[in-house]
Amino acid sequence: MDARLRRVNKEISDCKNDKTSNITLELVDNSPFHLKGSFPGPEGTPYEGGNFEVDITIPDAYPFQPVKMKFITKVYHPNISSASGAICLDILKDAWSPVLTLKSTLISLQSLLCSPEPNDPQDAEVAKHYTTSKASFDETAAYWTQIYAGGPGPKASLKGDNIKDKDNKKGKGGMMDEIAMAGLEKAHVEQFESLGFPKAKVIDVLKRLNYRGANVSSISEDRIVEELLK
Amino acid sequence: MSDYEVSDDEYYYDDEEMMDGTQDDDEYDEMDMDDDYNDYNDDFKVDTVPKKKSYEIDYESLSQADVEELMKQDVEHIVGITGVEECAAAILLRHSSWNKERLIEKYMDNPTGLLVEAGVTVPEQPEPTTSGSRAHSVSASSPSTKRSTRSSSKILSSFVPSSRNSSSKVSSSTTGSSSTRTSSTLMKRLSPDPSPTNSNEPFTCPICFDDSTDLKPMALDCGHMSCSGCWQAYITSKIRDEAEHCIRCMAEGCQIVSPDSFVKKVLTSCGDSSMMGVDVEANKIAWSRFQELLARNFVASVPSLKFCPYPSCTNTVKCTDAALKSSLTTIVPTVSCGARGIPGLEKSSGEESGNNNKNSKSKGTSGGSGTSSSILANKEHKFCFGCPIEADHRPVVCAIAKMWLKKCEDDSETANWIKSNTKECSQCQSTIEKNGGCNHMTCKKCKHEFCWVCMGPWSEHGTQWYSCNRYDEKAGVDARDAQSKSRASLERYLHYYNRWANHEQSAKLSVDLYAKTEKKMEDMQLTSELTWIEVQFMKKAVEEVEKCRMTLKWTYSMAYYLAPGNQKELFEDNQRDLEKAVEDLSELLEGPIEPEDIPNLRQKVTDKTVYVQKRNEIVLDDTAKGFHEGRWKWNVPVEGFEDDEAGFDA
Repeated sequence: MDARLRRVNKEISDCKNDKTSNITLELVDNSPFHLKGSFPGPEGTPYEGGNFEVDITIPDAYPFQPVKMKFITKVYHPNISSASGAICLDILKDAWSPVLTLKSTLISLQSLLCSPEPNDPQDAEVAKHYTTSKASFDETAAYWTQIYAGGPGPKASLKGDNIKDKDNKKGKGGMMDEIAMAGLEKAHVEQFESLGFPKAKVIDVLKRLNYRGANVSSISEDRIVEELLK
Repeated sequence: MSDYEVSDDEYYYDDEEMMDGTQDDDEYDEMDMDDDYNDYNDDFKVDTVPKKKSYEIDYESLSQADVEELMKQDVEHIVGITGVEECAAAILLRHSSWNKERLIEKYMDNPTGLLVEAGVTVPEQPEPTTSGSRAHSVSASSPSTKRSTRSSSKILSSFVPSSRNSSSKVSSSTTGSSSTRTSSTLMKRLSPDPSPTNSNEPFTCPICFDDSTDLKPMALDCGHMSCSGCWQAYITSKIRDEAEHCIRCMAEGCQIVSPDSFVKKVLTSCGDSSMMGVDVEANKIAWSRFQELLARNFVASVPSLKFCPYPSCTNTVKCTDAALKSSLTTIVPTVSCGARGIPGLEKSSGEESGNNNKNSKSKGTSGGSGTSSSILANKEHKFCFGCPIEADHRPVVCAIAKMWLKKCEDDSETANWIKSNTKECSQCQSTIEKNGGCNHMTCKKCKHEFCWVCMGPWSEHGTQWYSCNRYDEKAGVDARDAQSKSRASLERYLHYYNRWANHEQSAKLSVDLYAKTEKKMEDMQLTSELTWIEVQFMKKAVEEVEKCRMTLKWTYSMAYYLAPGNQKELFEDNQRDLEKAVEDLSELLEGPIEPEDIPNLRQKVTDKTVYVQKRNEIVLDDTAKGFHEGRWKWNVPVEGFEDDEAGFDA
């Protein structure tokens, strides 16, 4: 039997037999080389309670070349692209070793959620948010976990029918989400919205300028209006 | 080894051939020349053969085998001093970029530290007894890469109490042994027990999970076992896909580098294990590629060595004079690797190109009978040791050539467009493009109103809106003068650029000229009683013209940057003489050939060729000497010359 197939089969069955790690692997399109992995968000983090799904592609040269992974579930994290789910992690690149397995790699992803590395970001905007205001970042990350990964959410007030809006966040009902989604304060957005700017644009500009936490005092309102007028 | 490899003797021959000015004396001697020419030629030979010309530099061409020999010498040197094994010495050298002094210094300072850092030996690991000390041992085992430490510690931190269980469980299931070991770090979880004392336990490869009895477990000094098939796949993938010569152990975080002997063992020991579906051919390719990678690493690390940049050429040039960057202000290190031809262009096997190399006669034959593409294919691999911009930019040094090319890239088209499409406002000198409308211009910037045709102020024009008959008006003349002054620098640049580009273009067209000349040479053999060897003067002349055009081309870039003064005038005199001679010879070559006129023409062309050659020598020689003596002064700051300048002023 092909060494790669044997190894992948073994890895999949190992994962099935291991009930304690809560990591699952399942086939996509019946090919053992395209898998979907999932793991629970680590405890004590904003990702707690969520279930995170990862798209796994096994390259031809596996295990001598690293496995290709990206998040299917949207994650608000400095080292994970909020748009594409691409992951910035050394073991998926040059630090890969053939003794690493799908399971151990997924465990590494889980621990990446525990300890973000904002100095080596995949998503610069998220990383900025993380470094300026950790509390606000945690709130947003928990919100994303709730919306996309089925987590409990940061506050009880945000729970409820918002989950249904996850696919039409551009719609009217989703406006409220959009603000929390971008990790902004509702009051700030409304302040500029009342000047007559469209909400989406306000959110976009405030997000770009990182109008959060301590930064709020250092960015003048004129500067924001200037950006909004561009 | 490679088809293009040439033995040492051939190189020396080649060098000699170059020393005598690429003149093929045999051909001239066989020609029926009058005394004049012979004398001239003899003088010429006496003049140049014994000593190196000032514009040439010493260099040596090396084949891959020669480079490997150099590497071996360095390795032996280190072995002699440090007493480590040969393979270890090679790894140490690669680790320290072949800087022997630094390596020895570091080794004397802390031998163990260096050996661990380079991945030769396993670091001393405190036996992990509790889970608390685990993180410690992990970070100690991978001290060099911060990120890998990060990932490992992350893996560790991910273990919530319950997962301790799981990891030991995986350990037992994957390694199939040592389930008693409680200290199951993730690092070791998947790698087998480093010292499999129990030979009764069947070996399961931790990579492919195969446990058949005929597996051949292999490991580096660190003891991380896996089967030979996995090692092969791993090493070939590293070599082929990543072009990596530094192949580390497969275990995660293990920094041990596999020595060359191990790589060789893995890649060549596969002949017997046919049941694995081993591709012997692929392994062979990988092994030779590995050796090439090692040589490349060596050449890239040593400043006095450079790889030949021609496609699929594996030769190396050693040039000690040009190793230092500062030397590039005094010399133009044009070198050639000794090989000829580009494999893709040549239908015949590469061996032939090796033969052509040493045998000028056979070179002549192939040139005479071949087409113009064979002339190209047969060119020697000439390149500049100091810069990648152009193969031969003599007589100008790399810095000037680079500046000039950059300027041309940025400016030439823009400058031409500005010249042909714009005029300057006669009051504020803003550049103005007239994009329609009448001749009554109003400068946007200074509101000056003027006539586009005569450039004079509009106030003098009265009501004649659409035509201007006032060319001689005084104000108009003044305005045009001012305009021409502001255009002077542009004109100056274009003057040099156009001549530069013209010579480049002509040199490019020389391929056609070759083809045409060959045709003429054939005709000549038919219409006169001249033999093949006797019509070679045409070819010689074409070659010379091409060479001189390259020289001329670069002299224009040099002249552009030369500060005005006597030196520049002398330089330009030499340049003018060469240019005139080249144009004359060019004209002779392009002209029609009358059968009755052939002896006369031959005489003229031969004379002119020698004259042109001589003029080229003078330009190259004088310029090179100027660089040596620091004679040239520039009108702009040139990289590398700043200190010189100060030194001369003092």
